[in-house]
Amino acid sequence: MIVYVARRVALAVLVVAGVIVLTFVIAHLVPGDPAATWAGPHASAAQIAAARRYLGLDRPAGVQLLSYFGGILSGNWGVSIHTHQPVLSDLAGAAPASLELVTAALIIALVVAVPLGLVSARWPGRASDQAIRAGSILGVSMPIFWLALILQLVFAQRLRLLPVTGEFSPSLLFTHPLTRVTGFGLIDAPLTGNWPMFGSILSHLLLPAIVVAAYPAGLLTRMIRAQVLDTVGDAHIQMVRAMGFGEGAVFGRFAMKLAWNPVAAAVALVFAYSLVNTFLVEAIFDWPGLGAYTTASITSLDTPAILGVTLFIALVYVVANLAVDIFQAAIDPRIRLK
Amino acid sequence: MIEAPSTLPTAGARLPRGQSLRRGLADNPLLLAGGLLSALIVVIALLAPLLAPFPGDAGSATHPFLVLRPPSAQHWFGTDNVGRDVYSRVLYGARISPLIAVIVLAISCAVGIPLGVTAGYFGGWLDEAIMRVTDIFLAFPPLLLALALAAVLPASITTVIIVIALTWWPWYTRLIRGQAASVAGRPYIDSCRALGVSRWRIIFRHILPNSITPLIVQVSLDVGGVILTVSALSFLGLGAQDPTPDWGLMVAEGQDYFLTSWWVVTFPGIAILVTAFAFTLLGDGLRDLMDPKRIFLR
Amino acid sequence: MKPHRAGLLLASGSALALLLAACGGSSNSPSPQPTSSGSQVFTYDTTATVMDDGWDPATEYSDGIIAMNNMYETLTRYNAATHKVDPLLATSWSKSANGLTWTFHLRHGVHFHTGRLMTAPEAKAALQRTIKLGGGAAYVFEAVKTITAPDQYTLVFHLKFPSPMDLAASAAYSAYIYDTQAAGSGGSSSALTKWFNTPHDAGTGPYTVQTWNKGQEFEVILKSYPGYWGGWSGPHYKKVVFRVVGQDSTSAQLLRSGQVSFVEQVSPSVWQSFKGNPGIRTVSAPSWQNLLAQINSKALDLNLRQAISYGINYPGIIAALHGAAVPSSGIIPDGLFGHSTSLPNYSYDPAKAAQMLKQAGYGPGGKPLNLSLTYTQGDSNEQVVATLLKSSLAKLNVNLSTQSLAWPTQWAKAKSANEANRQSIFLEYWWPDMADPSTWFTNLLLTEHPPYFNLSYYSNSALDKQINKVDEVTAKSPAAGSQLYHSMQVTVLQQAPLQALYNVNYQYAMRTSFTGFVPNPAYANVVFAYDLKPTG
Repeated sequence: MIVYVARRVALAVLVVAGVIVLTFVIAHLVPGDPAATWAGPHASAAQIAAARRYLGLDRPAGVQLLSYFGGILSGNWGVSIHTHQPVLSDLAGAAPASLELVTAALIIALVVAVPLGLVSARWPGRASDQAIRAGSILGVSMPIFWLALILQLVFAQRLRLLPVTGEFSPSLLFTHPLTRVTGFGLIDAPLTGNWPMFGSILSHLLLPAIVVAAYPAGLLTRMIRAQVLDTVGDAHIQMVRAMGFGEGAVFGRFAMKLAWNPVAAAVALVFAYSLVNTFLVEAIFDWPGLGAYTTASITSLDTPAILGVTLFIALVYVVANLAVDIFQAAIDPRIRLK
Repeated sequence: MIEAPSTLPTAGARLPRGQSLRRGLADNPLLLAGGLLSALIVVIALLAPLLAPFPGDAGSATHPFLVLRPPSAQHWFGTDNVGRDVYSRVLYGARISPLIAVIVLAISCAVGIPLGVTAGYFGGWLDEAIMRVTDIFLAFPPLLLALALAAVLPASITTVIIVIALTWWPWYTRLIRGQAASVAGRPYIDSCRALGVSRWRIIFRHILPNSITPLIVQVSLDVGGVILTVSALSFLGLGAQDPTPDWGLMVAEGQDYFLTSWWVVTFPGIAILVTAFAFTLLGDGLRDLMDPKRIFLR
Repeated sequence: MKPHRAGLLLASGSALALLLAACGGSSNSPSPQPTSSGSQVFTYDTTATVMDDGWDPATEYSDGIIAMNNMYETLTRYNAATHKVDPLLATSWSKSANGLTWTFHLRHGVHFHTGRLMTAPEAKAALQRTIKLGGGAAYVFEAVKTITAPDQYTLVFHLKFPSPMDLAASAAYSAYIYDTQAAGSGGSSSALTKWFNTPHDAGTGPYTVQTWNKGQEFEVILKSYPGYWGGWSGPHYKKVVFRVVGQDSTSAQLLRSGQVSFVEQVSPSVWQSFKGNPGIRTVSAPSWQNLLAQINSKALDLNLRQAISYGINYPGIIAALHGAAVPSSGIIPDGLFGHSTSLPNYSYDPAKAAQMLKQAGYGPGGKPLNLSLTYTQGDSNEQVVATLLKSSLAKLNVNLSTQSLAWPTQWAKAKSANEANRQSIFLEYWWPDMADPSTWFTNLLLTEHPPYFNLSYYSNSALDKQINKVDEVTAKSPAAGSQLYHSMQVTVLQQAPLQALYNVNYQYAMRTSFTGFVPNPAYANVVFAYDLKPTG
């Protein structure tokens, strides 16, 4: 087990190093002269040259890469051009809201996917299965920025059931201002006893979370169906049947339990995927997370910020993959031996 | 793309022929629906100049005196904020995203197959090196890497093709490598080698044909994913530029008018959804058709 | 616990929690704002970053005036109805017979937000600092030779040449009276600027800065200043929030649900859709703002610039904007001195444009001409204009690539030292700093090295001379001034460094929960929140 974990961690470290190199390469693909941008529009040639020396752009590429590496590891991820703050602190401010959104979306996705996947696997080939399969394919084929606009129009504007935009009701800024402890609104509000804020955040979270949940719901439904069908033919399930358990128990209790392992793995992986999907909907819902930060960075040509977000999410993905691998190995010894 | 490997058909899986094919299709109405819908979209793309009532509107023509008209007999899907016929633009859009998807997937295969075969067949340090590089690229969720690249490069369709291809090739490398490695390990390949069969012959006569079917399934599943990624990049302003009738771009441009002119956003969005849905349905059905277990369960 | 039962419990539990939250948490039905005086909030919805030019009132020259005009005050304020200025920090004024001396009597009992009293020596220090720094619209005081304060409440301007000081003192920029000692007495000017950028404000106005969330949506929050000389009896807003919302559809939904009080700009069709909505009032008002296409005069010669000018579909743009735009004549908008309808304006004449392009080898059948245009992100009208420009120029074999950028980025790119990085056409709005047309000339057409707002990079020394003396000429003789403006506009039209595509018709939308809003073209998009009476 230790050997397996060590190998996996070593691999992850290698991948992270590669990811950092890749972002360095992308950063240097930017057309235009960063020294000139830094020096400002009124700079003379001498000032630009001085800026180039200051920024270390006159050193060979290898040296620049090493100092870039050092910077990343020591927490210096550059300064955002549009907020003029260090990128890392911008990310720390924006990430919690996106993490809340994705977590809520995944919860909704699981609530939908588990029963539908089970039903689909229980009666494969029948009309219900076909309908659920079509529905889950619809979920993974959905352009979520379009879904966001449509749902916003229908539920928020026409039916007035849900709030339109924002993280919470702005009048609460004055009556019940939120004290940030962890950065996560849904944790800080109950922590400080600010229940009106908690409720407001939840109600504002609902619509964006439903939108982001579409892809994971579709994916997980299909996956649960496939995994449950897979295990249902297994020997020990035959035994459970032989012992007299009804089909409901066979599917609900036993098969689903076995299916959880690969499904949990998929949830971890789809977490990072959904984080990226937030880019497309946060601006529409004025949800102040990484997505809103990224779209603002795009229109300001803010390369350091865009690359900071890229690096961050890639790291989340690598860590999620690593955690999944270790978790699966811990549960299923066969994997370690491969 | 986030499929767990076990749901892909194993190497050696073949498309059923003859009677079992017909039975397969009858059992699988979704495959039929997906196939027909995909074919329809291809036909629309090819015939767009004939079907569109205002072909010029898919180019740089504008009609400032007809802006934001609701759907009518003359403009079935209404007009957009510079008076262009939305229906014509949606029809022409069928040429853009699917074509980009085809090019992207072709490039990805062209890069991924040789790399995957090399890694899987030769093994050793070559395998390690190639797979590590692949892992690095796979550390980025698809839209993310494409977005980072597209944000630094000038926005255009070419950029979109390049950046998505750059994020997609690793999946095929990994897929083909898995297939190649499993085939290469089989006893009969050892026999071939012992008999002195050249390695190129082994690759082309044995390894590739066995790997093709899962590849076809994966490609058709991926068409939908690439189309969604293309439209997402265009929506963010990183892809096709005005006046290209790219569906994602049309949704982005229509956002501001959505409340009062719902048609500008709704129809292009439906087009994206239907196209991605059709191809994914097709791919899903193909995979199902080839699943050996399916035959036993019946 | 059995897995599927656990799942069911989880599902029902979260559904219940969400239901409770939805019932208890949201207050977004269009109900009136709470009426307790502590929470009367006026929310102003704008599309672009507010304080992108810093917090120093002496040099602010951008969108910050919507906030600054609530924190700072000027000596006088322009009244659009009477076309004259009203008293504000000055209660009366007079000028000498030869027009070279202006005497202002200042209001008693006015305090800066720093607590110190506003007196003539303070006002003098503020204006002198503004003039010395020379930023923003400080040029409105260029006629000033010296300023003296013979006593605590009398301020005297001694001029080099006659100039309407009452108008200058009412300017939307650079005429604020502020406490120069705010960062400590004897401090340097740059130390004061630093103090301002913290941010702090040292104005006399009804509101003072509470929070600045740079780069974020709720960018600026102002709170009432209890010691305001106007007093707080009667209904007044106690807080003013400036909220940056990039998308029309979001702004519209926010207005409908009552989450914002006032929307600065939405697309015309969205504005039309507000009519008939019981909680919303729509106001259409002429402005002194026009949309300019500044053509890169270094990269494109006269022939090409004129060809482009003939290739713009002016009537089409106006039609597509549904009432938000009215045709321009020359570059001085209607309502300002110097406006003329008898100018050689361009019309949309693609045949002529093609002919002119052909002379240079371009045009249909010739080489394609590749141009670039930048416009401000978040402005749907500019996007429509950019698309229409692209379309009409495409017919002439001119490939116009358009790029939407956040305003600070668009502006920085236009000012970049690397000339190859600059655009061919720069789209931006312009409006005057005070009720005077000279700003179009001094800011956009005077030779500038390096460029600041002259983003057609135009240089014409004969025109420069005329621009530099037009104020003097007008002060001496309005008729001569009018004639000079006419001839300058003719030059500008012939030389085509820029075109006014249309004059903006302000289309404001606001809640009916207050009264007292008066649109004032002299203070573009400014809402004087103190003058509003919340009724909600």
